[in-house]
Amino acid sequence: MFPVNNRYVYGVVEGDPIEFETDAVGGASVVYTISHRRLGAVVSDIDTTDPEETDEDATRHDEVLRRIMNDGDGRAVVPMQFGMAFESDRALKNVLRGALPAFRRALNDVEGRVELGVKIVRAEDADVDADAVTERIADELEPIAAQSVGNDLFSDRLVLNRSYLVDREDREAFDEAIARLEEDEDDLVVRYTGPFAPYSFVDVTIGAQR
Amino acid sequence: MFVLDDLLFRPFVGIVDAIHTIALDELYDVDGLEDELKENQLLYELGERSEEEYRRRKAELEDELEIAREVHERLASGRVEVKS
Repeated sequence: MFPVNNRYVYGVVEGDPIEFETDAVGGASVVYTISHRRLGAVVSDIDTTDPEETDEDATRHDEVLRRIMNDGDGRAVVPMQFGMAFESDRALKNVLRGALPAFRRALNDVEGRVELGVKIVRAEDADVDADAVTERIADELEPIAAQSVGNDLFSDRLVLNRSYLVDREDREAFDEAIARLEEDEDDLVVRYTGPFAPYSFVDVTIGAQR
Repeated sequence: MFVLDDLLFRPFVGIVDAIHTIALDELYDVDGLEDELKENQLLYELGERSEEEYRRRKAELEDELEIAREVHERLASGRVEVKS
């Protein structure tokens, strides 16, 4: 079909190799791991090293990561942003080797945890005290979350936009806190999303050029 | 004469060039368009925007964004000519 030596990377796991069939990025149908020592890069074959980010492929990327995260009791994965592809297994293994300590640390940070997204949106025409809302949300959610990070307020309707890293066993408490917020605040709409692979909480950047 | 022309002319071109670049930046506002794309998505998810409206707006914004990115790429590589 096409030269299959390019590898599109979804993320990095530790331990047992992975292999499953699915609709993968760029039209491939099998997702598998390429390993260096105990680390495995989760990949599928692709015909380019510069894949275009279509909605469809971005969704596939997410779904592959979600499937790994939900494997068994949940598996730690260091997710890559969309678009990372390598021209050979050797180049990819070099990256795994070079960044091994960073991947280990990142895997350790996200082990047993998921990322949840919270957007608080002001109802149309509502007048909202943004500082008070932000404080209330912080009081409710920060004690439950292991970490959190603020995201871009890309609309003037947005009062808060944060990502939370939450232990799987604290999910229920987090859900309940969100439900309380939704109930109490009439002028606000809560957009609660996830669980996602912990994109916002890993700080490993790799490049094919290294 | 050539030297004088050159000296007089150069700073002028420099300023025109800078103003032109600023104008292009505002006209082809990549960040602003990206924000609008995200807002469009959010309003759709909240049910405030119909699917039809959402898709129409998304296609529009993506087209504008593509042009804006291209203009910036050309600006960065110096391939946009400033004509007065």
